[in-house]
Amino acid sequence: MSIKININPFLQQYTNNQSVVEVNGDTVGQCLDLLAKQFPGIEKGLFNKNGKLLNYVDIYVNGESTHPEELAKSVKDGDELHILLVPTGG
Amino acid sequence: MLTKGELLRYDRQIIIKGFGKEGQERLKQAKVFIAGAGGLGSPISMYLTTAGVGTIRIADNDKVELSNLNRQVLHWDKDIGKRKIDSALEKLKQLNQDIQIEATVETINEANVSQLVADSDLIVDAMDNLPTRYLLNKTAIDKGIPFFHGAVYGFEGRAMTIIPGKTACLMCVYRGAIPEGKFPVIGVTPAIIGCIQAAEAIKYIVGIGELLTNRLLIYDGLNSKFSEFSVKKDPNCKHCSHLGSKEQ
Repeated sequence: MSIKININPFLQQYTNNQSVVEVNGDTVGQCLDLLAKQFPGIEKGLFNKNGKLLNYVDIYVNGESTHPEELAKSVKDGDELHILLVPTGG
Repeated sequence: MLTKGELLRYDRQIIIKGFGKEGQERLKQAKVFIAGAGGLGSPISMYLTTAGVGTIRIADNDKVELSNLNRQVLHWDKDIGKRKIDSALEKLKQLNQDIQIEATVETINEANVSQLVADSDLIVDAMDNLPTRYLLNKTAIDKGIPFFHGAVYGFEGRAMTIIPGKTACLMCVYRGAIPEGKFPVIGVTPAIIGCIQAAEAIKYIVGIGELLTNRLLIYDGLNSKFSEFSVKKDPNCKHCSHLGSKEQ
């Protein structure tokens, strides 16, 4: 079982500049936890102190928004996750 | 009615299939509100001006600073210290004297946003913060005006088009944004995103092509990639759920 996680460029500072990381997991939350185990620094770029996704972090699975399930959304072998950060600039 | 000069000026776009003199006439009759005259506002206003949008309303309350000049191409060295609106007006008038440009020196807020947008046919987002974007989104929904969103960060940018009541709005899609502060950006990013927003606005007015509705387009400049993400109307959206769920 392999899930491909595409890391936002801003978060690649925590993944040794890796843009794609493969993990095993049954839900979006599990995949992100496994990512954070592999690259502990990324946790602060994804979650708040209560372990909830930061409000400007959006997760897409196979190009579709995971809202409102987000972390609880189930994933399967071959799925592709994208971590996007909502930008402010203009 | 297009003048002889206008037919010549816009000839290369009039001959685009599906555009025609009718499309150019629609552009001439259109009123577009651009919220901001900075990094995104520069290419948006320049390309809508050169395309022949009849009335452009642009609002900004900042002054030109040296640190703006890596990306805000409407403003030049000689403009440092001037109001961005004055600098923008000067350049846009030189780009096209045939159109009407209404410049307003105001910070967009809850009290003035409706009056600033007035009877514009389109609202284009060239802001640098999410609260004002939400304000514009809400105003667009309330007035039934299409809203053309864009935002940038570093080498990354995104764009999405919102048709009130028919497609996902900003509030359906966003729950927050990267905390405000000095954001990193290279000029080419707002140039690309601003041009996409301007293209969307032109397509909407002329009535051709397929809009970026229910789709979030992400530009990753570092890897030279465009990606598209599907978004949906939120049935519990605080801004647009009262308009029903008819999707376009």
